Amino acid sequence: MSATTAAERAEIRAMARELARREIAPRSAALDSGSEDVFAECWRLLVELGLDRVLLDESHGGAGLDVPDLLATVEELAVGDGGIAMCVLLCNAALATLSDEQLADVPAGARWVLVPAASGTEVTQSAGQLDGEVACALGAHGADGLVIFIAGPQSAAWAIATGAQGLKLEPDTDQMGLRAARAASIEMAHIASATATVELGGSVTSTSGLSAPGLLRAGTAAIAHGIARRAYEMAFEYANARRQGGVEIIEHEAVSDMLSAMAVRLACRPQIVLDPAGTAIEEAQALAAKIAATDAAVASTTDAVQVFGGTGYMVETGIEKLMRDAKYCQLFPEPNWVAHGELMRSERAGRAA
Amino acid sequence: MTTSTPERSLCESFPRLAANGGGLDVGELERLRARARRFAEEHVRPRALEIDRRTDEDPSWFDWDLVRAGVEHGMLGFMIPKPAGGGGARCTQSSVVMEELCAACPGIALIFGAHALGFSPLLLGGPSQWDGVLADLIASERTGEPLLMACAITEPEAGTDVEDPDLLTRARITSHARRVPGGFRLNGAKRFISNGSVARWITLLMPTDPRRPLETWTCFLLDTRSEGFAVARVEHKMGQRACPAAELTFNEVFVPDEQVVSREGDGAGATMIVLASSRPPVGAIATGIARGAYERLLGWLEEDRAARGMLERQHVQLALAHMEEDIHLARQAYMDAATELEHTALGAVMSNPGARALEHVPASIRRRAHVRGWLTSDRARDATIALLHRGTSDRAMTRSLALSSLAKARGGDVAMRVTGAALELVGLRAGPVRAELEKLWRDAKLTQIYEGTNQLNRLEVYRGLCRSETISCLPPVGRS
Repeated sequence: MSATTAAERAEIRAMARELARREIAPRSAALDSGSEDVFAECWRLLVELGLDRVLLDESHGGAGLDVPDLLATVEELAVGDGGIAMCVLLCNAALATLSDEQLADVPAGARWVLVPAASGTEVTQSAGQLDGEVACALGAHGADGLVIFIAGPQSAAWAIATGAQGLKLEPDTDQMGLRAARAASIEMAHIASATATVELGGSVTSTSGLSAPGLLRAGTAAIAHGIARRAYEMAFEYANARRQGGVEIIEHEAVSDMLSAMAVRLACRPQIVLDPAGTAIEEAQALAAKIAATDAAVASTTDAVQVFGGTGYMVETGIEKLMRDAKYCQLFPEPNWVAHGELMRSERAGRAA
Repeated sequence: MTTSTPERSLCESFPRLAANGGGLDVGELERLRARARRFAEEHVRPRALEIDRRTDEDPSWFDWDLVRAGVEHGMLGFMIPKPAGGGGARCTQSSVVMEELCAACPGIALIFGAHALGFSPLLLGGPSQWDGVLADLIASERTGEPLLMACAITEPEAGTDVEDPDLLTRARITSHARRVPGGFRLNGAKRFISNGSVARWITLLMPTDPRRPLETWTCFLLDTRSEGFAVARVEHKMGQRACPAAELTFNEVFVPDEQVVSREGDGAGATMIVLASSRPPVGAIATGIARGAYERLLGWLEEDRAARGMLERQHVQLALAHMEEDIHLARQAYMDAATELEHTALGAVMSNPGARALEHVPASIRRRAHVRGWLTSDRARDATIALLHRGTSDRAMTRSLALSSLAKARGGDVAMRVTGAALELVGLRAGPVRAELEKLWRDAKLTQIYEGTNQLNRLEVYRGLCRSETISCLPPVGRS
């Protein structure tokens, strides 16, 4: 993986922004309502641009870009649709976890998903077999393959093609947010390494040195930021057009104060810090960024609906969807209150070391 | 399941109730609360998610069976005056019922709440209204085919503007009630009208002169079978979907003079009185939503395998304590606002011996042509208005409106905070309880918006409490 220049990075960001504006945003309502045809069309466009394999090098059909490029890409895509951005993040995280040999078995355009799972409460590994259930795995419905990423003392990653024996996926019919990344409940019964496409026992980082949880958290922070940007743009535009009390509603401080608070949250976006090699995400930073960015997105999208008033509560406006998407970012890959605990554990471990 | 409903009686929790200033029977209130809870447990909560899903697919779908079940539990007519055959309940009772229903499903509760809001302008008309539509509503309940009402105020270009007299003067009102021989012709559109697509009768507000909306804002009673009336569409909402929100259009709809509620031009003040009485129940709706989320969360924490050990965590304990605080204070706020309305603002009117004596006049006598003629005459209207002025004042109503606005805004924020925190605690992996909490979180957002945005409500608090201002709410004496 080679470092991207500033000019290349700007170009990538511009490309993702244009794609989000021209192709993704107009399809956002259809994606939210669960249209599989529209999703397939969007995925085809993403694959054409290599956004499913941003981090992989060219020998694997990837773009050979860096983590900051991926984060910039998913942020821009999230301005168009948070669920699509999440699919891109989960696919890149999953594929980055695989070795070169394993990647060779993954066909072009295949959509893989990284699924974080808790050891003991959700999945168990014994005698070379994987068992358990994971509820509401984002992006899993309709995916070609899953990388079940197990954190904890027995950390491991299992890569499983979705047709594997012992694997059962049920779509989550109650999913409220990020609905383009259609979730499924996953049941795993005696998944053996022989039935899985690949098995990555004992590996918690990819060959590139990336930490999967760190990437998911940093990526979710970027997606939340993109959603908050979209909410601000829509609310600002509406507040300049809608008139109440004889003036544009942005003239009312009750409204402009909310818009200002959104702008402040966007300006104070948390930064992701990489290690000196430019690949590994610093864990505590990723946790802090994820908590701050997703809390900010929930606050901003909620305020954006408020700026729209009754109109914002109607699905056709598209603003309430941002609120639902932001809320799901707050809950993924773990709820923020859990992330707070992780952050303190990480800080203490760092200082003890 | 664990419940956050106070173990203390309503009287112990809210000492003002014991003062009986508004003629409130606390024992009856307790029984009403128990009845509402039974209805919520038996009929509302079991259907809530299914109705939410169906109305997500088809926003115009409506569960009439649920309304009929509500009739059996007395949830429809309990706010209608006793002389008209109803339960004679007031703001306090309505609020207590709303909290109970909303802990189960705020969308379903809104059907009953919007119905009450629909006929609430008629209540200001006193005895002149008892034998008209109000009696018809009760009669329809007895036939098993209940009729619903709605109240239409909001317009496509005027949302906040129509909820505040100062803003109304500068509002872009596009509706117009034009005077014609024998009545008015109504034109224009109303938006986001809860129950609008299922109501048989609608009270609606329009100006008779769009250049002077404040001075000519007038309340009309409309039969939705009238020619020229149409439901343009039913909105697809984020939450509270069980109760449809409709856009209504009026194309030369004729409304006879007899169906002008109160008098031409009294609508703006009447709207303020209606809001003073409807915002405590909205505070209660929000409190109920928060309580519903809290109860589901606690049940999940106590019973679900996936939550094992969570109750031992300080973070969780503190979060639960914070929710209890929020719910407790929100409940105090709406009960304070409701009892203020009944004890101070409208109490003297309600307990006026003359008004109470009229309640005992048999309907058979009231309905005789000459008696009915007098009750609906301008003189009778003036007498009702004079009674309002003797029993209360603009200042008392403004203060009541401010307390109601405080309860509404605080409740809405609490509902959002508690449902959001509950959802965060259970996370994505929680199973069925997650869907219920997500629904309540979506439902909660509307409580920060309807009955005036929270921002507008807080400006009412500023004017009524911080600055002790007085808004003209009462209709002027002697205009007829």
